[in-house]
Amino acid sequence: MTRILELFQLPFMQRALLGGVLTGLMGGMLGSFTILRQLSFFSDALGHSALLGISIGLLLGLNPSMVLLPFAVVFALVVTYLLERTRLWTDALLNIIYSSSLAIAIITLSFVGQYKGGLNTLLFGDILAVRELDLVFSALLLCICTLFIGMTLRTQMLMTLHEPLAIARGVSVSAHRTAFIVLLSLVVGLSIKAIGVLLVSAFVVIPACAARLLSCTFTQYVLLSAGLGALSAVVGMGVSAGLNLPSGPSIVTTQLAFFLMAMVFPRLRMLARE
Amino acid sequence: MILVKDAVLVVKHLTVYRETYAALQDVSFAIDSGTDVAIVGPNGAGKSTLVQAILGILPRQAGEVFVLGQPLSPKGALTHAVRQQIAYLPQNFLFDRRIPITVEELVGLGWGKLGFQVPWADSRKRHHAVREALSRVEAYHLKHQLISGLSGGETKRVLLAYCLVYPRRLLILDEAPAGLDVRGESEFYRLLYHLKQEQGWAILQISHDLDRVRRHCDRVLCLNRTLLCQGIPEVALSPDNLAAAYGSEFVRYRR
Repeated sequence: MTRILELFQLPFMQRALLGGVLTGLMGGMLGSFTILRQLSFFSDALGHSALLGISIGLLLGLNPSMVLLPFAVVFALVVTYLLERTRLWTDALLNIIYSSSLAIAIITLSFVGQYKGGLNTLLFGDILAVRELDLVFSALLLCICTLFIGMTLRTQMLMTLHEPLAIARGVSVSAHRTAFIVLLSLVVGLSIKAIGVLLVSAFVVIPACAARLLSCTFTQYVLLSAGLGALSAVVGMGVSAGLNLPSGPSIVTTQLAFFLMAMVFPRLRMLARE
Repeated sequence: MILVKDAVLVVKHLTVYRETYAALQDVSFAIDSGTDVAIVGPNGAGKSTLVQAILGILPRQAGEVFVLGQPLSPKGALTHAVRQQIAYLPQNFLFDRRIPITVEELVGLGWGKLGFQVPWADSRKRHHAVREALSRVEAYHLKHQLISGLSGGETKRVLLAYCLVYPRRLLILDEAPAGLDVRGESEFYRLLYHLKQEQGWAILQISHDLDRVRRHCDRVLCLNRTLLCQGIPEVALSPDNLAAAYGSEFVRYRR
């Protein structure tokens, strides 16, 4: 325990912890709507496709973090456009997009030669390399997300429940859908550096699913999802520091542990009542 | 002829295409406040299309729609003030039952305006209205339940509460009472009658129950891609007009 506390005296560990909490809060909050709108696979596809953005950035000699955010937004807009224009199933279309961008990314990377960060860092991220500027961006994005979801909560709820009902009330559904997807892709794009392209969607999906199993009202569900996201980051970072394990995967494993507890908990409560 | 500014709803020469065919062609009618108007017609006649075009859910190719004197823009937009005065109950309300929303939260979504606001805006007034609306449809006891646990009839009653929770001028129902039992259905019509008589709501409902329509509605629109006839039930549902809408076989069978 003292070892963990000592480690968290180090500035880079503090930054990593704060970064994890910010990502957990944002991922959990947007994730609660993402899974209900059946967009879980979108965050996964965006994560994988982000590798293309990174490799293009490397080829052009740009800093990968500079390329990621614009790439994520463009990706989101293109996918939304394609989803509205083609009559294909969402998961099939996303699969086409992400596997092809992954293929192109690997080919592009072969032209770049030896990338000094290594493929491993791209795939699994490095939360310990989070800089102050990243934290500022994350904090800013968290404010925007909270403001957007908070101020339009009732609209978001109605849209999630039944789109025609929302249109009949004068909600501009396509504008709202686009705004949400852009925010989600910014969150995913910003988190990739810390968590990597493979695990980033866990932050969106797992805490939200756990919260779904535990919630009795919608508001409680959204708050609990964000809370579980943050809590998983804190506990996961602690485990990672204490046992000297890779941090991103430790957080995701913690999320899984919470999810499993959420699955068991209602049954335990029922047993206790009997 | 009802003037645009007085009527609750005016539809002029409305034409709507779906895919490549005209689902509705040159439909014109008007609805005054305090009247209950039924749309009847066979399957595929364009009844739901008509309702959805009026609400701006489906785009229209020609014609005009005025709600409370205000024109529906070609893109389907109306001001918030007018939108708040309309309630809509869709046919086969299909939703994902895994969405964790309580009855109270769902009905609360019907209250007031949607848009940029803090989530707790007017929460006391809203809670009060939700309580009243749920009591009126005898669903108050379901308040804290998640919608996933509701039966078909309970879902219908809760959705009706969603419509009732705020004072409206126009209620649009797409085969609303389907799924209610006999008692629920007569309660439902009693409630509609009350809203119409005492609060002056205009009601536009799609219905397949011609006997109910004859007893409860003030006017009937017979629709089959075009508006075949409109008038009081005795006239609009006369054998000749029914034959025109549903085919002569149908009329002989009903006799």
